Amino acid sequence: MVDQTPPVLSVKDLSFRYHSRQTLAIENINLDLHAGQVVLLAGASGCGKTTLMRCINGLIPHSYNGSMTGDVELFGQSVIGLGLSDISRRVGTLLQDPERQILGTYVLNEVCFGLESLGMSREEMLPRAMKALERLEIAYLAEKETYYTSGGEKQKVALAGVLAMEPDILLLDEPLASLDPASAHEALRAFRKLADEGLSVLIVEHRVEDVLAIKPERVVYMEKGRITYDGDVAGLVEVVDYGRIKLPADVVMRRSQGKPVKQFQPAVPKVDPESEPLVSFQDVCFQYGAENPQVLHGISLDIRAGEVIAILGHNGSGKTTTVKHALGLLKPTSGRVLLQGVDSKKLTVAESAHTIGYVFQSPTQMLFAPTVREELAFGPTNLGMPKPKMLANVEWAIKTVHLEEELATPPLALSFGQQKRVSIASVLSMRSKILMMDEPTAGQDYWNYQAFMDTILQTPGFDAIVFITHDLDLALTYANRIVVMYGGRIVADGTPQEVLAEDEQLHKWRLEPTSLLSLNRTYFERTGQFLRAEQLAQLIN
Amino acid sequence: MSDKVEKKPLWQFGTKQVVYAAIGAALYAVITWAFNLWQIPGAGNVGVRPSIVIPMFFGIAFGPIVGFIAGFVGNILADFLSGYGFWIWWDLGNGILGLIPGLFYPIIHNYRATASIIKGEISVVLGSALGMGLAAISEMWVSGADMNTVIFANFLPAFLTNIVWGLILLPILMVAYAAIMQRSGR
Amino acid sequence: MDRIDPRARFIVSLAILLAATSTWNPTLLAIVFAIAILWYASARLSFKDTKLGWLMISVMLFTMIVVNTLITGGGAGGVVPPGGQLIWPNGFNLFGKHFVIGLTIERLWFAIAQLMRILSISLAFIMIPYTMDSRAYGATFSKLGLPDRLAYTMELSFRFIPTLARNLQVTMDAQKARGFELDARRGGLFGKIRGVAPLVIPVTMNAIVSSEDIANAMDLRGFGQRKRTWLYQLRYHWWDWVLIVFSIVLVIVYMVLAYKYGLKLFSVPGWWYSLFK
Ligand SMILES: Nc1ncnc2c1ncn2[C@@H]1O[C@H](COP(=O)(O)OP(=O)(O)OP(=O)(O)O)[C@@H](O)[C@H]1O
Ligand SMILES: Nc1ncnc2c1ncn2[C@@H]1O[C@H](COP(=O)(O)OP(=O)(O)OP(=O)(O)O)[C@@H](O)[C@H]1O
Ligand SMILES: [Mg+2]
Ligand SMILES: [Mg+2]
Repeated sequence: MVDQTPPVLSVKDLSFRYHSRQTLAIENINLDLHAGQVVLLAGASGCGKTTLMRCINGLIPHSYNGSMTGDVELFGQSVIGLGLSDISRRVGTLLQDPERQILGTYVLNEVCFGLESLGMSREEMLPRAMKALERLEIAYLAEKETYYTSGGEKQKVALAGVLAMEPDILLLDEPLASLDPASAHEALRAFRKLADEGLSVLIVEHRVEDVLAIKPERVVYMEKGRITYDGDVAGLVEVVDYGRIKLPADVVMRRSQGKPVKQFQPAVPKVDPESEPLVSFQDVCFQYGAENPQVLHGISLDIRAGEVIAILGHNGSGKTTTVKHALGLLKPTSGRVLLQGVDSKKLTVAESAHTIGYVFQSPTQMLFAPTVREELAFGPTNLGMPKPKMLANVEWAIKTVHLEEELATPPLALSFGQQKRVSIASVLSMRSKILMMDEPTAGQDYWNYQAFMDTILQTPGFDAIVFITHDLDLALTYANRIVVMYGGRIVADGTPQEVLAEDEQLHKWRLEPTSLLSLNRTYFERTGQFLRAEQLAQLIN
Repeated sequence: MSDKVEKKPLWQFGTKQVVYAAIGAALYAVITWAFNLWQIPGAGNVGVRPSIVIPMFFGIAFGPIVGFIAGFVGNILADFLSGYGFWIWWDLGNGILGLIPGLFYPIIHNYRATASIIKGEISVVLGSALGMGLAAISEMWVSGADMNTVIFANFLPAFLTNIVWGLILLPILMVAYAAIMQRSGR
Repeated sequence: MDRIDPRARFIVSLAILLAATSTWNPTLLAIVFAIAILWYASARLSFKDTKLGWLMISVMLFTMIVVNTLITGGGAGGVVPPGGQLIWPNGFNLFGKHFVIGLTIERLWFAIAQLMRILSISLAFIMIPYTMDSRAYGATFSKLGLPDRLAYTMELSFRFIPTLARNLQVTMDAQKARGFELDARRGGLFGKIRGVAPLVIPVTMNAIVSSEDIANAMDLRGFGQRKRTWLYQLRYHWWDWVLIVFSIVLVIVYMVLAYKYGLKLFSVPGWWYSLFK
């Protein structure tokens, strides 16, 4: 499809090196954007996607130092001479984490932020702000405090704040991270609608398959700072490495035929349905303080050795709240939680930590020590483990996550992926029986998160593993049991094939069926279990 | 990393500084308020304020204006959150506590180096002395206290607890900051 | 109170502060104190909301007045001339023991003056956070003459208080999950102080890393490139002008009386002595 209209944006032979780095972050980029198009920009972590966006929206060179060659043209005019506020009226940018982008305490103030900066009068800005809100169908939020909006609403509020500036080009940097599948699809449909209204939309996203649902006109693939593919979707899925980005399952299955498959052997023991549960939720109800509504309504759940449980559910369905009960960080308002038969009300969190290791979503929420070694020793020392045993555990934990060389490095200086592994190791070293993880893969690229999940699940030392996720494929490939939460209740609990049997049900729970799921259903009679696309390819032929 | 030592302008107040100042102030307020709620036992009756290191650190890391606002606005917000009212002189004192370390900001480049940490520690003592000194002296004027009371009831307890927290926590934060700078290449 | 312009509110509260701290004269103090009470009452705050604040103020007043001024006898040296009449010149007997207390009639009055002075200031300011709309700070300070960047700093810090409070709670939970307890009594004073590092470091470093994104988000929407306007509407009404003029007059009158007519100094009203006859 060749677009005859002149491009609204054109990037020409662009290279950039950050002041503090020796190597180029992006190299020889050439890219055109046309009005009315959605373009998907994909690529592994660190390949320069965000850097390219910064060159387009003017943060480079206005806020970042470095050396830039080549040019970026907006409507045929070079951005070099333009100030940030001129660029900001034409190029709107939505950053990855709406929590960091929302600047106002109330929605309407947030939406007006840019207009205030432009020095507009109240009479001028109000209609524009309302128009932006109405465009996204969230005008009813105008008087709400931003802090109390949900994850999906935050994303839209931030977008409204960008749209109020009435840009011609929209840059979206990983806009779907940490949204539940239904909210992600709503957001995507909103982006599509904007493009149909004449905007030019560039989306950076790791969840490639989700974006393909809104039929991007073009896909650009980057590797190590260079564009290696620029064309339509059909061509992309044939050329890029399917281990690097997540492609539709049928394509992966077809392309991986006859290729060797990595072996994957989970390390948890076999499930014994007769064994005493490690954790037992008995009719747990909970509310955050008397003035807040009840969040959990009668949760009952047993966790036994050998289980790998994925908890799915929409934003705010109570997943995190449930998991926090297991560890005793929250105590039920009614009902009880038993840890190996002992009521959690009788245990301190530190005592519960012997049974449950809990890894929080973001590693930066817990890393603090001056060296990785001290970081790993923190947990066991708190638990009062004798020193020789503690040292042995630290040794074992670091080997398990393959970071032996980094023992003396400050954890805060490591890359995000490495930090994630340190945070797991720092829980491993406590030798807890159950590992619990809250959205372990959010914000990581496909290759990284697969490698990471493979490592964790093949790590000996845990009797059971529980993880919360919004990624259906992650749940169906790694878990042997899936629990679905909806509005503070458990609405489904069973093997992946039982729970994920019907699309209609999934939609009701705000989950979206995926290509891997339908492929697995097709072949279930022959496989008897849910598998990855590569494994399916091997089994079927 | 670049071998050129970057120039650090002392009184710059651009967008980044606005954010650091606002975040510093909010952080100071939140930590102060949380420790008031959690009340660590064993620290005696003087207010437990590990958070005092926040304005000091924001000064050292981002300059005098950021340090001053983190302390000044932060203390106002902390008092607001605790419902304590508004004590302009103590707010100013807290501001100075962040401003003085901020004056050392241009001469600190490697936050891990021993020399930098020593400079940081000196700034803690100077900042606490001046900041708490001003606040305490104001009590002579506001509530008519005499010099003795001011020194023994107002100045010394505040000064001593602040430098104890500051001297121990500032180096820890500086080292952690060096690590995140190393990562992002800032 | 909602109908009073925030700028006028700040000005009145500031005027009360200045007036109250300009004098030790009993009549003048009583007058500001009365004004402060009226001002506070007009805000119609419920005691439930402000209870914590009053608790803190009471603790402070107690130590300052009862301990420093009345019992130890310090705290008044700067203002109250030495000497004076003892309240119980001969001491008194209690539980079979004889006590002599150095409390003078003057110092007791001083304690009352101090109470009025501090309470006036507390009354004037405790209500501000309860009556201010968090959206108004930027516009208010900007219109009071602060540069945009400074005015906006205030508003932005309000925005991030709940977010940072939640982050602190998350970090607390994450460290508790690793067996950490804040009040673990080990390692003496030094160890205790270092013990807050696992909380303070992640929260602070996280905040600093986020700051880069926040600053980008602001730059990308043109922050600081032009003179800013504010969505929040501020409009003076006639009653705001009345309050402002009143505030200015109050301060001028007090300054003149205090410095020109020497009413700045501490004195004890005659009827006070007669109470102790
Ligand atoms: N502010 C910065 N200073 C120095 N180097 C940076 C900065 N930001 C990014 N880099 C470096 O530039 C390269 C490209 O990073 P960039 O953030 O553009 O990647 P990305 O494709 O967006 O990755 P991700 O998917 O993880 O967000 C990386 O090597 C990164 O370390
Ligand atoms: N500290 C809190 N105080 C009050 N309400 C809270 C608190 N934490 C969570 N909630 C509310 O409890 C409900 C469940 O929240 P929870 O964090 O458990 O959801 P979740 O399923 O983990 O969602 P997400 O997928 O967005 O992480 C939500 O409505 C949320 O607003
Ligand atoms: Mg990126
Ligand atoms: Mg959650």
